[in-house]
Amino acid sequence: MKALLFVAGLAFAATAQAQFRMPSFDINKMVETVKNVGKAVKEIDEPEEIAIGKDVASRLLGAAPLVADARMQRYVNHVGRWLAAQTERPDLPWQFGVLDSPNVNAFAVPGGTIFITRGLLERMRNEAELAGVLGHEIVHVLRKHHLKAIQKGAQSSLAGDAMSMALKDRAGPARDKLIAFGTEMYSRGLDKGDELEADRLGIVIAARGGYDAYGLPSVLQTLQAISAQDSAIALMFKTHPAPGERLDALSEKMQPVLDTYSAQPQLADRFLRQIKK
Amino acid sequence: MKFLAILLILPAIALAEPATVIRATDLKQAPASDSDTVAALAEQTAVEVLERKSGWMRVKSVSGDGWVRMLALRLGGATAAKPGASGLSQMFNVARTGTSGTQVTTGVRGLDAEQIANAQPNPAELAKLEKFAADRDAAAGFATQGKLSATAVDYPK
Repeated sequence: MKALLFVAGLAFAATAQAQFRMPSFDINKMVETVKNVGKAVKEIDEPEEIAIGKDVASRLLGAAPLVADARMQRYVNHVGRWLAAQTERPDLPWQFGVLDSPNVNAFAVPGGTIFITRGLLERMRNEAELAGVLGHEIVHVLRKHHLKAIQKGAQSSLAGDAMSMALKDRAGPARDKLIAFGTEMYSRGLDKGDELEADRLGIVIAARGGYDAYGLPSVLQTLQAISAQDSAIALMFKTHPAPGERLDALSEKMQPVLDTYSAQPQLADRFLRQIKK
Repeated sequence: MKFLAILLILPAIALAEPATVIRATDLKQAPASDSDTVAALAEQTAVEVLERKSGWMRVKSVSGDGWVRMLALRLGGATAAKPGASGLSQMFNVARTGTSGTQVTTGVRGLDAEQIANAQPNPAELAKLEKFAADRDAAAGFATQGKLSATAVDYPK
């Protein structure tokens, strides 16, 4: 029986072994491999989601560091943390960072890390606009848009049980591959449906936080007016539906919510005091 | 006197941004849907944005000044703001000028596609990020200072 399992395990594990060059053969590992093949679509639990997110966040910070302005960083954290508290995942380790880059973009990392670039922040007019963008990114975390895309992509590009190896061994080569894949996803973008959902629900989250619901549409209108030739916005345009299309989708589905919560504060003064231009 | 009047409207001119009406809409006296209608604006009407107020924009048009729903406008001139077409042309432009053919020097930081794909971990910055995080109570105090109050709003169906 044991011998039979070993043979079956060897067959299943061969690809993974070859790819990751595991030096020692271990009968227990083989048996586990056979078991894992049966549950390849295993859900990633919350601690794993948070751990993957930290590794991906570290890489994004390798692409662009934080703006060296503690006051600005704390301000954005206050806005973001307040909004996150209005959602169905209020107790994730939420953290928000302004990346020191002139590019116009924002990123949501699994587990509750949100980045926004200095270039995008500088194009905003008030706190309600910031809340709209952070609300959009928070939705990506709530609905696990990136996590699901990472999982889906990893399962087709990492062989056999490499996914569970990557989750178990946080210092191993499979983990490195998973995180590299997860980071690279930010250069390719999500499904259009995920982005449009994040727009709709992001508006709701900003309104729940007490902000003018038109913050996000205002930012989209600003983006729409930026030339597509401007290299600062090239990646944002490549990875998102065109701003005009996003505005059309919002006006079709969200007009009642937008109008109901349009008289809430925008807090332009507080925003401009914190974000020195 | 005329000179003074010109001086007074100068700031408004400085703010003016060209925009285009993307679907037929009413030019309103005030930023509210129940306000009096000044004129009906046809699709593709060129206007100038003078002021913003939440979901409304005060514009100058050939039919007079007034307020238009923000979502009925696209910033930019007529050719830039054709509904539907803008997204497509933007996509083509991005595809043409995209960064995929660009040579990337190893070690250069930045948020272009290749730079993200090749980024290496930065644990020192990650530690800073964690240090700046706010707790729920601090965030609630910050909201109170800004006179923000939490409101129950359902997600759309």
